[in-house]
Amino acid sequence: MSHHKLEVKDLNFMYPDGHKAINGISFCIHHGESVGIVGANGAGKSTLLMLIMGILFPTKGQVLIGDVKVTKSTLPMIRQRLGMVFQDPDDQLFMTTVYDDVAFGPRNYKLDEDEVHERVIEALELVGIAHLKDRAPFKLSGGEKRVAAMATVLSMQPDVLIMDEPTSSLDPKSRRRIMNILKGFDHTKIITSHDLDMIFDICHRVIVIKDGGIAADGITSEILSDSKLMDLCGLEVPLALQNCPCCRAKKS
Amino acid sequence: MHMADALISPAVGGAMWAATGVVAVYSIKKIQDDLDDKKVPLMGVMGAFVFAAQMINFAIPATGSSGHIGGGLLLAILLGPYAGFLAMSSVLLIQALFFGDGGLLAFGCNVFNLGFYTCFIAYPFIYKRLINKGITAKRIFTASMISTLIGLQLGAFSVVIETLLSGKTELPFITFVMLMQPIHLAIGFVEGLVSAAVITFVWKERPEILENASMGVAIGNVSIKKVFIGFAIAVILIGGVFSLFASSNPDGLEWSMYKTAGKTELEASTRIHDILSTIQSKTAFLPDYDFKTNESEIVTSTDIGTSTSGLVGGALTLILLAFIGFGINVIKRRNKLSVK
Amino acid sequence: MASIMNSLYNMRLLDDLSQKDTFVHRLHPLVKLLATVVYLTVVVSFGRYEISSLLVFLFYPVLIFAFAEIPVVPILKRLFIIEPLIIGIGILNPIFDHQFITFYGIEFSRGWVTLFSIIIKSGLTVTSALLLVATTGMDKLSGAMRMLKIPRIFIMQLLLTYRYITVMMEEVARTLRAYSLRAPNQKGIHRSAWGSLAGQLILRTFDRAQRIYQSMCLRGYTGEYNIGRQSPMNLYDLLYLTVWCLFFIIARIYNIPFIIGSFVTGGI
Ligand SMILES: Nc1ncnc2c1ncn2[C@@H]1O[C@H](COP(=O)(O)OP(=O)(O)OP(=O)(O)O)[C@@H](O)[C@H]1O
Ligand SMILES: [Mg+2]
Repeated sequence: MSHHKLEVKDLNFMYPDGHKAINGISFCIHHGESVGIVGANGAGKSTLLMLIMGILFPTKGQVLIGDVKVTKSTLPMIRQRLGMVFQDPDDQLFMTTVYDDVAFGPRNYKLDEDEVHERVIEALELVGIAHLKDRAPFKLSGGEKRVAAMATVLSMQPDVLIMDEPTSSLDPKSRRRIMNILKGFDHTKIITSHDLDMIFDICHRVIVIKDGGIAADGITSEILSDSKLMDLCGLEVPLALQNCPCCRAKKS
Repeated sequence: MHMADALISPAVGGAMWAATGVVAVYSIKKIQDDLDDKKVPLMGVMGAFVFAAQMINFAIPATGSSGHIGGGLLLAILLGPYAGFLAMSSVLLIQALFFGDGGLLAFGCNVFNLGFYTCFIAYPFIYKRLINKGITAKRIFTASMISTLIGLQLGAFSVVIETLLSGKTELPFITFVMLMQPIHLAIGFVEGLVSAAVITFVWKERPEILENASMGVAIGNVSIKKVFIGFAIAVILIGGVFSLFASSNPDGLEWSMYKTAGKTELEASTRIHDILSTIQSKTAFLPDYDFKTNESEIVTSTDIGTSTSGLVGGALTLILLAFIGFGINVIKRRNKLSVK
Repeated sequence: MASIMNSLYNMRLLDDLSQKDTFVHRLHPLVKLLATVVYLTVVVSFGRYEISSLLVFLFYPVLIFAFAEIPVVPILKRLFIIEPLIIGIGILNPIFDHQFITFYGIEFSRGWVTLFSIIIKSGLTVTSALLLVATTGMDKLSGAMRMLKIPRIFIMQLLLTYRYITVMMEEVARTLRAYSLRAPNQKGIHRSAWGSLAGQLILRTFDRAQRIYQSMCLRGYTGEYNIGRQSPMNLYDLLYLTVWCLFFIIARIYNIPFIIGSFVTGGI
């Protein structure tokens, strides 16, 4: 399944103002993996995702999707296979109804309107908001917006799902809903977040970013329980792995 | 200074729609030629920004009053004149549809008064000229002040002309001008101050924004000529339509349907007409329909001239209306109840 | 601040109303748009001393209010907010037009007649525009504009403006709230903060536009804006349009209240 592989080789990126946000990152993600990318504020997570999506282009190194290098000319093909959900759903829901928003991608790929309809309904049902399809985005709650933004990407049926902070500023119920939806996908998933409990729950692999480089890459439970490493990278061991706050007993 | 539907005549509204349409189509063509597809989301969101920002009150020192930013010039400066004009049109269209600020028929007038003069006169011929020598805070101040003032003065004068040509009000030209221009001088002064402050800030923080807007789509280097041609077409269109109506209808440019309607009525020999004329002859104390558009006769021939019948009929119409509206409501409610 | 809340409420309300499911809502959007345009044109074509012929035109809004189940109060509220602006110009008439019309010994000031005529006209025109949105909604209305061959680029940015007005207004409201909490007892923004307050908002707007553009590109946007299929018009739609247009034209040519009045007064 080499064409489902996502490979990043010696990636470097500098913002126009001279700030070096990414310094020599390399990793390889295989089909079906779910990978969490964690790191302190300003570590470079969002920048990394934008490089993978071809919104930014690296100053050095490359991103390969399957065997195709991400360049300006391969973008249309790449973007059909990668779907990215933005941090602020208001940036992603720009049409007047949820339906039109979810249909935006498929329509751009010139599918005929019946197939567009099928895909929209499928995507909306997948995330459980088929009943909201005629709503205006400004009348959705924060959680509903987040889920609708996911649907806009799912309707394009990507091989890889990339999400930037999917659970930030959500109430516990909405957060749990998103987590359940995410668990239900058998896509390849790449998720950045400060919600380490969520990462612990969903991702089997974690990449820790520190100052634009990789500080660790491995099995989630091993890395997230390494309190020294977590501390060094401006993070904390997730609650699920910490000792019980009342009796200090170790969790199993 | 939004023109309302109620203040214009269809001829004026239509002519201004046509003029606005010409400029809009040209602007769209320019933007498509640029092939800068980033512009579209930027136009949309900046339009929304202007809409929201008009609600910010900027306190004017030592006066106790406050002002707000105007849309046109700011949009022209940040997006370039073509995109700015289109963005301004959407703002005005949404204001007309959702808020009743300016109407659908008057939309052309409003886009012209608030969008055209700022984007295609004040911006290229004043703002850009003054800024061309290199941007400094002082130049931004002078340029935005003068171009805001001129843009608004042109717009206000346009309002006067449109209102008078529409003939829906009975104001002496001079009085109207003497009222509108000074008011908009004051408004323009405040707007100019605020715009200058805002533009200076943007220029200091992100100078590339101002540069991008004025580069690729600059009026200066390509198409002053074309804008002039567009303007000339618009003027000819407006002038042509106006003079047409002016000559066929000496009284304040009432719509000529007035006339045609009168004629068809007089010439028609249908049954309805027969019935109506019998009614009219029965009620002999009432003057016959008279569509001569002579000042004094207009008055006697329409409403006031039909006093008793007008009053009785008007009252009956209103009663009938209330009855129907109420009736439908009751029936609808019953149906709903029975469904449940 | 209050005006922002008002505007937000207003847009939300009209959008809510447009989601209703009545026969008026189900009509083809283009038909409703055209009917409104014809209505406006005819209403506006009346001269400045017309009053009674205009009354018949109340039928249109009243029937739509009733059939589309649109609540009257909020729409009228909006109308009353707008009315002073129009009266502002209209009021000059009684001030400057001192001609009197004598009729059966009663003196009418022409200026007041004109003002009254303007008030009625503005009531009719503003209400009908608001009703158009309340029964159609912005997305369907833009579909109708597409059918009138209005370029996609314009419609796309119109819809984006509509979509982001709420986002921007909330952003402005947040900013103003933060400002007023730290600067109590100020009526408006102080001069020292003019540039930075509005300027920051502009910069954030640019960043947002950038992100929106990116998210559009990621979903295959190439400058072409694709809107879904338009449903075709059916017989009902055409009938609706025809009936209203006929009514408007007849009411334009014949002074219906006058005829009714003549019947009554003449018959007695
Ligand atoms: N447009 C930009 N221009 C210059 N520097 C930038 C730009 N965007 C981000 N940076 C810088 O690049 C670094 C990485 O930013 P990035 O947004 O990738 O961080 P992040 O890991 O996503 O942080 P967070 O957890 O806060 O979202 C930061 O130091 C930031 O200041
Ligand atoms: Mg980030």
